[in-house]
Amino acid sequence: MRDIDHQDRGGLLGPLKNLSFFARQPITEPLGPRPASANYRGFHLNDWDLCIGCSTCQKVCDNAAITMVKVPGLAEDPAKGIRNLRPAIDYGRCCWCALCVDLCPTGSIALSREYVHTCLDSELDSYFILPDARGIHGTPYPKGWAKSTDADLVALERQPMTEQAAAVRIENFAEIVAGYDANQALIEASRCVQCGMCHDACPTHMHAPEYIRAIWKGDLEGAVREIYRTNPFAHTCGRVCTHRCETACSVGHRGAPIAIRWLKRYAMDAVDHARVKQIAAEGRADFISGKRVAIVGAGPAGLTAAFDLVRQGHDVTVLEAQAQGGGMVRYGIPDYRMPADRLDRDLDIITSLGVKIRYNTRVGVDLTMERLQAEYDAVVLGVGLWMGRSTRVPGADQAGVKRAVDLLRAVAAGEPIEVPQSAVIIGGGNVAMDITRTLARLQQQRYGEVRITLTALEDLDHFLADADEIREAREEGVQILDARGPQEILMREGQVAGLRTWGVRSIFDPAGRFAPSYDPADEQIHPGDLVVEAIGQAADVNLLGEALTEALQWHRGRLQVDSQGRTNLEWLWAAGDMVRGPDVVSAVADGHRVADSIHAYLSVQEHAP
Amino acid sequence: MIEGHQGSYDRIKSKTSLKEILEVACSFESSARDFYRDLAPKVSKNIRWLAEELAAEEQCHYDLLRGLADHPDSVEQVAVEVQTPANNTRFSDAIHLPDLGPRPDDQAVLQYAMGREHIAMEHYQSLADGTAPGPIRDLFVYLANEETKHKAELEKLYYETVHSGGV
Repeated sequence: MRDIDHQDRGGLLGPLKNLSFFARQPITEPLGPRPASANYRGFHLNDWDLCIGCSTCQKVCDNAAITMVKVPGLAEDPAKGIRNLRPAIDYGRCCWCALCVDLCPTGSIALSREYVHTCLDSELDSYFILPDARGIHGTPYPKGWAKSTDADLVALERQPMTEQAAAVRIENFAEIVAGYDANQALIEASRCVQCGMCHDACPTHMHAPEYIRAIWKGDLEGAVREIYRTNPFAHTCGRVCTHRCETACSVGHRGAPIAIRWLKRYAMDAVDHARVKQIAAEGRADFISGKRVAIVGAGPAGLTAAFDLVRQGHDVTVLEAQAQGGGMVRYGIPDYRMPADRLDRDLDIITSLGVKIRYNTRVGVDLTMERLQAEYDAVVLGVGLWMGRSTRVPGADQAGVKRAVDLLRAVAAGEPIEVPQSAVIIGGGNVAMDITRTLARLQQQRYGEVRITLTALEDLDHFLADADEIREAREEGVQILDARGPQEILMREGQVAGLRTWGVRSIFDPAGRFAPSYDPADEQIHPGDLVVEAIGQAADVNLLGEALTEALQWHRGRLQVDSQGRTNLEWLWAAGDMVRGPDVVSAVADGHRVADSIHAYLSVQEHAP
Repeated sequence: MIEGHQGSYDRIKSKTSLKEILEVACSFESSARDFYRDLAPKVSKNIRWLAEELAAEEQCHYDLLRGLADHPDSVEQVAVEVQTPANNTRFSDAIHLPDLGPRPDDQAVLQYAMGREHIAMEHYQSLADGTAPGPIRDLFVYLANEETKHKAELEKLYYETVHSGGV
């Protein structure tokens, strides 16, 4: 091809060329636009029923053409991953690249085949629109560029987690999941759209988008740093967190949510423990406040509060009734789900900052709450739900009937327990699953077979246990019978022989309250040498003593605290399972709350004249 | 109605007018209310709400029956109520009355309360079954229905209290 001669000015007779147009007929173009092609990238459409306000479109837009607008009246529920935001488009910035369409997790955004918009100067704001499914002018136009399999930039499939097969895992207590390798973690992290729905849903608002991005960038220490901004039970929550983040994950609307919990687990395992300790200590106060705080209970709530308070320069002593720390995480969750050595790492990091734990010290027996009040500037109650509830059906007081929490504690503490050849479990929650699967492993080791029947009031659709737990228990040979109501413990020659149940017709009343009704004609006998009750738990508040129990305010059986976890007594806070119900990550969040409140209280004390 | 007391049963059975029956039923409710009021200070403060709530509930029952006893048009209201009998779901945990003892826990208090309602329900139903059709029979059916409804409410509270805390 010949180069253009930019110096060429044309010939002298060039203008006369126009004379050739004189003979042509005028042409008038129609006012209406011509139809656009099928995949045209015209104005935006947004299906508000599909849109969850996740802001992914805004984040991916390189031209900053998208602004998320709060729409009053729209539903907002962080736990479900729904924000009352909708994207508004600035067509002065938009370049119609359609990345917003390609990366939209729910597929709510599309571009239409409409492309004409004109206005007067006074209407220039009309180039900034809040699109809905009707388009810019409210006139029906077909979709142009829309979500398709070929153009979908959201990876819908999760990296698979390697697990021990049922036939293998039933023989041991080793952790079932193997964890991600570096390549899997990288690919899984790359699926994240960084919308932050997980952050909103998490009780302690973990910086999951940040640590996932750090993992994706290969900066694992950075990931640990992000994790430790909000969670000192990082190894624990990498394994047994209830992962509400994943329930809220925007990617989960069309595919599998990002494996946020497993990514946390990966980062924590990948970084050298000594280095994690250093990272956890970053930002610690370089002074000593001189204030002393006592914490009753070395579970996630108490130790999170201790972690924060020590970092703020306070002197913290934790009083723990058991021989080791971790609370219900150690004594209630079996090793195959939560290996003790990983919990030990969490505790080692917390104690390395200066938290002192006095083990085998039972408040209410070895020392009183009154003494704690006298010797410390603030006291935190962080006791778990150690008291198992009983059905109290006839025979429930027999020696062959045990509570799940007691058995789990004994197994975790290494105490010998009598392994039954056959057992019946009552309950449909995760605690029931934990004791069921623990006994199944012990039976397999002792007798070479599993003979356990689990009965629960709820039908399978309403079990409180995780679906994975139910599936895995069945794979391990456990018989699960749903919708069965316990009636009587059966005895033979003074020994427990099984459980008699009735079928459950329904479990909820019309108002949705739990109200099982039974069918006496549907009676079954479940043989078992041991019956284990796992129907509910409560905190043992006897440690408070009568005077303190009277002085405190209660709300329907639970200690009443304010939004910061403080009781009606100036010196006393409460956190964790005893006030909020059982959940590790909620206990961690509680620990932060009470630590902040105590720190503020102690700071005021310090500055008081 | 006092649980397991044959005397209560006989006492109400001997009554032949609606007003007399309602007066006795009122006295049963006030007796139950007083029982829970007396119980409240004896239990630990963390479960005192339960005894107080039960006492308040019995007071509501008393007020309802008192209103019926005091108004001559009560028979008509009873007739309307017996058209829709309450459903007894045969709650199994409840029917074994525990010995409350000096320091009962929340579960024992609830089981006790459910037991009272259950036995009262059965007594009223038994009285209805042994009475010829008419206003008095309707009244016994009505009272049995009321006790059944009370028991159903207690059952829900029982489940929310006892079957909780596990995960």
